Amino acid sequence: MPFREDQLAQRVVKPKTNLGPGFWPITALIVVVSAVMVYLVETSPLPIGLVQAGGPADSVDALFRFLGATGAVIFNVVTIYTIYFAIVFRAPKGAPPNSIGVQIHDAPVLEFWWTAIPTILVVILSIYSVKIWADLQNTAGDVLTVEAIGYQFGFQFRYPKLTTPTSELHLPVGTPTTIHVTSRSTDVIHGFWIPEFRQKADMVPGLVNTIRITPTRIGTYRIICSEFCGVAHGGMKGTLIVQSQQDFDKWFAQQGGQHAGGGGGIPLSAGTVSAGQALFGQKCSVCHSVGPFSQKIVGPGLGQIFNDPAHPKLVDGAAPTPQDAAKIIHDGYSGDIGTMPSAQVNGLSNPDIANLVAYLASLSKK
Amino acid sequence: MATLAPGVKTGPYHAVLDHIHPEPTSFIRKYIFSIDHKIIGIQYMITAGLFFIIAGLLAEIIRTQLLSPTGAVVSAATFNQIYSMHGTTMVWFVVIPLLTGAFGNFVMPLQIGARDVAFPWLNLVSYWIFPVAGVLLFSSFLIGAPDAGWTEYPPISLQGPPGTSMWCIAVFLVGISSTLTGINFTVTILKMRAPGMTFTRMPLFVWAQFATSPMLLIATTALNGALAALFLERQFGIPFYNPAHGGSPVLWQHMFWFYSHPAVYIMILPAFGFISEILSTFSRKPVFGYKMIAFSTVAIALLSFAVWAHHMFTSGMVPWLQLPFMIITMFIAIPTGIKIFSWMATLWGGSIRWTTAMLFATGFLITFTFGGLTGFFLAAVPADYHEHGSYFVVAHLHYVLFGGSMMGLFAAIYYWFPKMCGRMMSEKLGLWHFWLVFIGFNGTFIPLHWLGLLGMPRRVAIYDPQYQFWNVVASSFSYIMTFAILLMFINILVSLRSGKKSGPNPWGARTLEWMISSPPPYYNFKKIPAVLATPYDFGNPLPYIGLDAAPGATEATPTHTSHPVPTY
Repeated sequence: MPFREDQLAQRVVKPKTNLGPGFWPITALIVVVSAVMVYLVETSPLPIGLVQAGGPADSVDALFRFLGATGAVIFNVVTIYTIYFAIVFRAPKGAPPNSIGVQIHDAPVLEFWWTAIPTILVVILSIYSVKIWADLQNTAGDVLTVEAIGYQFGFQFRYPKLTTPTSELHLPVGTPTTIHVTSRSTDVIHGFWIPEFRQKADMVPGLVNTIRITPTRIGTYRIICSEFCGVAHGGMKGTLIVQSQQDFDKWFAQQGGQHAGGGGGIPLSAGTVSAGQALFGQKCSVCHSVGPFSQKIVGPGLGQIFNDPAHPKLVDGAAPTPQDAAKIIHDGYSGDIGTMPSAQVNGLSNPDIANLVAYLASLSKK
Repeated sequence: MATLAPGVKTGPYHAVLDHIHPEPTSFIRKYIFSIDHKIIGIQYMITAGLFFIIAGLLAEIIRTQLLSPTGAVVSAATFNQIYSMHGTTMVWFVVIPLLTGAFGNFVMPLQIGARDVAFPWLNLVSYWIFPVAGVLLFSSFLIGAPDAGWTEYPPISLQGPPGTSMWCIAVFLVGISSTLTGINFTVTILKMRAPGMTFTRMPLFVWAQFATSPMLLIATTALNGALAALFLERQFGIPFYNPAHGGSPVLWQHMFWFYSHPAVYIMILPAFGFISEILSTFSRKPVFGYKMIAFSTVAIALLSFAVWAHHMFTSGMVPWLQLPFMIITMFIAIPTGIKIFSWMATLWGGSIRWTTAMLFATGFLITFTFGGLTGFFLAAVPADYHEHGSYFVVAHLHYVLFGGSMMGLFAAIYYWFPKMCGRMMSEKLGLWHFWLVFIGFNGTFIPLHWLGLLGMPRRVAIYDPQYQFWNVVASSFSYIMTFAILLMFINILVSLRSGKKSGPNPWGARTLEWMISSPPPYYNFKKIPAVLATPYDFGNPLPYIGLDAAPGATEATPTHTSHPVPTY
């Protein structure tokens, strides 16, 4: 006799109040355990054992605690109910082999709520994460700007008014600092991780990433390479020293911290247009066109920088002289319209800069 | 033909379905270059099982090395090769082939009541590419294996040992194998279901394969393009990725993760399918919320294509672009949560048989949930700034891949072994296997979360001395886990020879593969059955007609409900 589908249609059994022996005590247990865990998570300095050395570590840690508390509740609900069901609904000893469970297929109201509640939770988590993210984006920086450059296998740092790079990162306490993070152009990707600040950015050759921190705690901290970079990756570390303004000034003076004039000392007369043109193709054309200023790729077009009536000054606010163009190429640039790595990062020598300036000058004459 | 049953649509092709091809007689056509999906499934299982042993041993070298802050056994250069090969092997040569290649091939055609996949010869090609790629991958050890992790980010992978190019070819080849399987399974599920098996009557493992197969097809293309470019750049200096020559290193990351994030779901959706089947069978209840589970599988598959950049929050992208990737990633938690809750509700009110397979499926609920929750920490951009590239990521990915995919696979092995081999596995050894794996796994990977948060980066051969204690704890537990997995292999080998005969349906399950003898005959079904309903209604007559069932495969209509509570 063929079965008819409607004979197989299910008798949906609606659970009444009795959900299982001890269901409500177990639910109460989940509530209590969750409440205790939320309390512990929210009041402990997560992650335990890692100090906060400055902003924005506190906002990130607040997010950690929030995620940890939410996660603990969800984990308790899933684990405790699962173990409880596993014990209570086990087939009793000597149950006939064909005994079956309650033939229930779904419970739309229940399913609605276990879709709706996680959705609300996810929305809350998203909003909170976006808020912290926005705080991070709007963190003050720029009082001090430092360039961090990764190489196999170490870090070096360039300060705006120092001619030679330093091997340690010194920061004065309480100063909003912007760190431009990159790697040497012929090197590999490194990571710049300062765990005590909960911040990290990859050091990608040819790309500048930005971290903004405000150190608040004097001390010595680790800089860790977090992106695999070769055989000595595990040992690639740097040192970040947060010190008082006086100590910082003293250290800075020892490093020879006076303005060396950037590109001012670069002899430009030896530059040739043809060498500059070749170099431009290799080093600059990824980001810069030779069209007018408005013809942007990543940075502005450089075809008319010396005689552009719409832009009587260069991006650093100085008059468009060859010396000033050389200075921008040498020092790099960071401002409203973007960021350009320094000559050192780009692998440009002083004669290279002279060649480039000669080429740029020749473009503007046409 | 047209009167199979009310509600069963038939077409003129159904008479053709009952035609049975003769079984090949030569050993080579039967067992080596077989086109039988069941043999191919078992071939995948054996091959991937061997790779699993190798990759597991590599993992133990990693954990042993990390007993000491200065590296206990091998040089940093060797260590880098070992962890790279561990990751590569586990992802492309163990988990994906086991889920789709082995269980997809063996179980899916049986569950839809087909005689084979749509393109059996293509299936043979898919399989045979796989061991060739494996041999190629492992022979790279002879000339210097790849050493930049399974992600092989350029420019470091451009400097890598010569074996990195072989890695490109090997992964490219498994990519082709995956793509072909994706085509094959998509067509099989769309065109070859038994009459009456509508989409909402498919077993949930078939739904999982149905969602996974197009992902294999679409995502793998991006990976293979990226791999080809990496190979060309390494061998011929054509600049795609090297910034020194005008390439973009971040381009690789986009291409790689456009594949590898969907691949994460390629590695978990079939395991979700296992869990649905196994929880239902051993709770002796219908899967709770069948449609919600099926549709959430598809929802996850679709969403998985829009989240890849959450692997790249620190790589350098326009800041606002981080937000959509973060939010979509978080929203994947909703369909995943629906599944977890539905599985818990499947346990509720059951008459649960605590077999090894059931233990693993329930253990999966706990470990996978934990892994999913740490996923939130990584999805939230500001928190990810701290965690990216640390041991926290290692811990998270092992919770979802081992605590998820591997736990699911262990459950599936215990569940379908009797169908594959006609013999039962030892439940006693199985219990030891489960509890030791569960303890060993959690003991290994919980401390790693902490190490990551405290500042230990991943992929390091040496580390700061203050991390040693928790590393020693993790390594010690990992030996327990390895021992437990060894028990499983012993169990398999012993059971193959002397396991109890299983009969067609040892678990009292209701999906089609249990209606035929174990191991199934060459032609699977003497007559292709017609399907009247979902398979999960325990206590009702079986929803199949025209089925030439193996003796003892069907169960008598049950009369008992062992549920201790019911007041309804």
